[in-house]
Amino acid sequence: MELLSNIFPPQNFTLIAFILGLPALGAFVNGVFGKRLGKDGVRLMALSAIGGSFLASLIAFAMLVGFGRQAHGEHGAHQAGEAISQLKFTAWHWFDVSTNGGFGSAPIEVAFVIDHLTSVMMLIITGIGFLIHLYATAYMWDDQRGDGGFHRFFAYLNLFCFAMLVLVMGSSLPLLFVGWEGVGLCSYLLIGFWYSDDANAAAGKKAFIANRIGDFGLLVAMGLLLSYGGALDWGGIASGTGSLMQRVQVWPIGHAPTTGLGGAIVSAMPWLFRPLTPTVATVVGLCLFLGCAGKSAQIPLYVWLPDAMAGPTPVSALIHAATMVTAGVYLVCRLWYVFLLSPFVMATIAVIGVATAFFAATIGLAQNDIKKVLAYSTVSQLGFMFLGVGVGAFSDGFFHVFTHAFFKACLFLGAGSVIHAMHAGIHDAAASQDMRNMGGLRKWLPTTYLTFLASCLAIGGFPLTSGFFSKDEILYRAYVTHISAAPAEPGVARWEAPAWFGPMLYWVGILAATMTAFYMFRALFLTFWGDFRGWEIGKPAAASVDAGAHGRDHRGPAPAPHESPWPMTLPLLVLGAFALVGGIFNPGLLSKEPGLEHWLAPVFELSEHYVKVNEGAPSKWLLAAPGVMAFLVGAGGAYFVYVMNKGAPARAFTEKVPGLYRLVLDKWRIDELYENTVIGAIESLAETAAQFDKWFIDGIIARLTALVVAAFGTVLRAFQTGVVHVYAAAMVLGVTLFGWFFVWQPQAQATVREQGSGKYLVEASPGLGYSFRWHSQTPDRPDSEAFTSRRSVEVEVAPGETKLVKVDVKNAFDRTTTGTVAVTRPSAAPAGSEKPAPPVMKGSLQ
Amino acid sequence: MIPVEYYLVVAGVMFGIGGIGFLSRRNLLVQLMCIELLLNSVNVTLVAFNRMRPDDHNGQMFAFFVIAVAAAEAAVGLAIGLAIYRLSRSVRSDEADLLKN
Repeated sequence: MELLSNIFPPQNFTLIAFILGLPALGAFVNGVFGKRLGKDGVRLMALSAIGGSFLASLIAFAMLVGFGRQAHGEHGAHQAGEAISQLKFTAWHWFDVSTNGGFGSAPIEVAFVIDHLTSVMMLIITGIGFLIHLYATAYMWDDQRGDGGFHRFFAYLNLFCFAMLVLVMGSSLPLLFVGWEGVGLCSYLLIGFWYSDDANAAAGKKAFIANRIGDFGLLVAMGLLLSYGGALDWGGIASGTGSLMQRVQVWPIGHAPTTGLGGAIVSAMPWLFRPLTPTVATVVGLCLFLGCAGKSAQIPLYVWLPDAMAGPTPVSALIHAATMVTAGVYLVCRLWYVFLLSPFVMATIAVIGVATAFFAATIGLAQNDIKKVLAYSTVSQLGFMFLGVGVGAFSDGFFHVFTHAFFKACLFLGAGSVIHAMHAGIHDAAASQDMRNMGGLRKWLPTTYLTFLASCLAIGGFPLTSGFFSKDEILYRAYVTHISAAPAEPGVARWEAPAWFGPMLYWVGILAATMTAFYMFRALFLTFWGDFRGWEIGKPAAASVDAGAHGRDHRGPAPAPHESPWPMTLPLLVLGAFALVGGIFNPGLLSKEPGLEHWLAPVFELSEHYVKVNEGAPSKWLLAAPGVMAFLVGAGGAYFVYVMNKGAPARAFTEKVPGLYRLVLDKWRIDELYENTVIGAIESLAETAAQFDKWFIDGIIARLTALVVAAFGTVLRAFQTGVVHVYAAAMVLGVTLFGWFFVWQPQAQATVREQGSGKYLVEASPGLGYSFRWHSQTPDRPDSEAFTSRRSVEVEVAPGETKLVKVDVKNAFDRTTTGTVAVTRPSAAPAGSEKPAPPVMKGSLQ
Repeated sequence: MIPVEYYLVVAGVMFGIGGIGFLSRRNLLVQLMCIELLLNSVNVTLVAFNRMRPDDHNGQMFAFFVIAVAAAEAAVGLAIGLAIYRLSRSVRSDEADLLKN
């Protein structure tokens, strides 16, 4: 410990360079030399890069723990406040930005900081990242799709880890933004990893564009924070929150017109132009949340995440379940002091969160693709996280990030293992992921089954599993807390959520949790229980066409599905174990001061200021009961429908209300809605622009320009005879003219400059070999007979008079020209006007 | 010592012969020779003027450069003349008007 803090002092924590550098190095080596390294080399490079980064992160975490212990233990309680809770490393100065409307300037450093929040995120990223890298080495080993880019895959994966680490370790919003965009890029690259398939490429594009919409909000928020708060690093934003309480008019933009047509509209519809003046904190919070909603797949920008499952399954597990999509939650946790300033923003986050949780869960009920179920489950769980942070339970929301990373990664990897096994008989990407083709797989995939079961229990909220603790704590806090508004200006009450708000969130959350348990156990039962429906088990024989539900894939007998190799099952076991027992890190129900909450206390220390627990709130145990009931009802319902009755009630339901079933199966047709509204509008705008371009720009402007050029060309072409003599003659003529200009006739020109108090400087233009003779005293007689090299002369003029100054200019060939300059001084100007009109200058050749 | 004006007169006469020759003759080879005359008349003036400045040899150096450039120019010019001859079986410069208009 002593040694470590000597090597890596907290203020110059160079270990960060290793943590960041190793994945970057791995990405570089695999990306550039991957083809030559071969698969074994690529595997070694990728695993050691992320593994080394994990070990370094562990060291950093241990050091943080050690510093905390030191402060609390050895020096007594009075020094507890001095515990080192940050490890900093400033790489270099990046740039300066102007702030406060151009009056200030804030430096943007490329600086990284590890605090208690970041350290946990780092462990998740590198730890789960390592397990998924290990898994992927087996999963992608025989991949023949696309160009078989084994090295490309791992280069992207390592690059992703690098970008994600930048995101969580960056000490300022711009640096976070770099990571934010980096993970978006890697997400795009990996979703479209099998780019030869159009659908995959389109899914990647969709993800990227949806994220860009969110990024717009993040950028606007950055600008506002700079302009009002004056800083972009975490500390600076925190200390600048005071100035975020001022009000800013967002509507109408500028001043509403009072005259003319605009004025008529305003006076006809005054309600439309009522000024809207929220606090800056509200605007910033909403903009930041737009960014979070894009990255973390919340309503209305969630549509990209289910499509993102087009990528390889390890990618879905790492990026689209465990790490990247939680970046939004991380950002809310990181900038809680901005969000908390506005109860309206907090309420928005909570409502969007719980709405997403509920809405995505309903879609999850009807999906048949195992990865789609997990995708909507991810969206739903992210909604729970936002519900948590939206009600001010930052450490609980973050704890759900933590537990969700384990059980959802485990679920995705389990699904990958199942898909891997299904490829033994079905070589079609869609059909091998369809749960209707599975069933009874626990016989052949015992390890996968057990870990999947563990994760299902966790996500469903089975008592004492990790998901139970995190989800119930969020719901409990949603019920009992409310956000009290910070006072903006005296005497003006700010908006606060009404009393029914918390219980409403709670009950919608319970409903969503019930559905979660139902669809997860539906997936479990359909996949692992019952009879195998994929193909006839046996020796491969002549293909026989099966006109079943799909009818498009050939299903002859094929060997039985097989368990995956150890690099795939080992991560499953580790993650499954954590999914079961991960609750011990923060058992909020059982402990007064649970582990993670205590650990994160320095980060969220002051949030109790605004997050108040309601008086007379029900006890934790009472509110946990509906959570358990949700699990029992959901899982029991799934058991009843899919095990006891083999899915008959579900079929009956779909036959009874086929319209509703189709609607849910088609994901409420939100994609189609977007297609017909937003995307359609933009497309028609683009179409209009294209027509404008075609008819106006190309049709009129371009043709007119071409016509003018052609006309000039026709005239000028006549001079081009192509005969050398003519050109030579023209040159002789030109040279002669130049010679005459320079030799025959020196140029006598002069400028006048005012020197003040009636004095003027007359200066003649210079020339090669020129000499000058001035007539500054009297126009008729030169000052001196000889020509000198003196180019300027000073004259004094009385007010209101004009003086003529003559200059004789002689060139090297003794040719002389005389120029005359009239210097006029305006008559005595009235007192106060300091600047008289410039003198009139006249030059003439004589 | 011969006064510098003598040299200048010789150079002027050479320059005039070269210039008028270049403008009036239609044979490419003769025109190239005229160009040589033009350049060499300049060389004569350079060297002659350099005699007025005994401290340095800039004029003579410059003359050497002009000679080198003239050699290169002659090589390129003859090559062009050859190419034109191959194309049109003539070395008359007024017939070589491929770049007209």
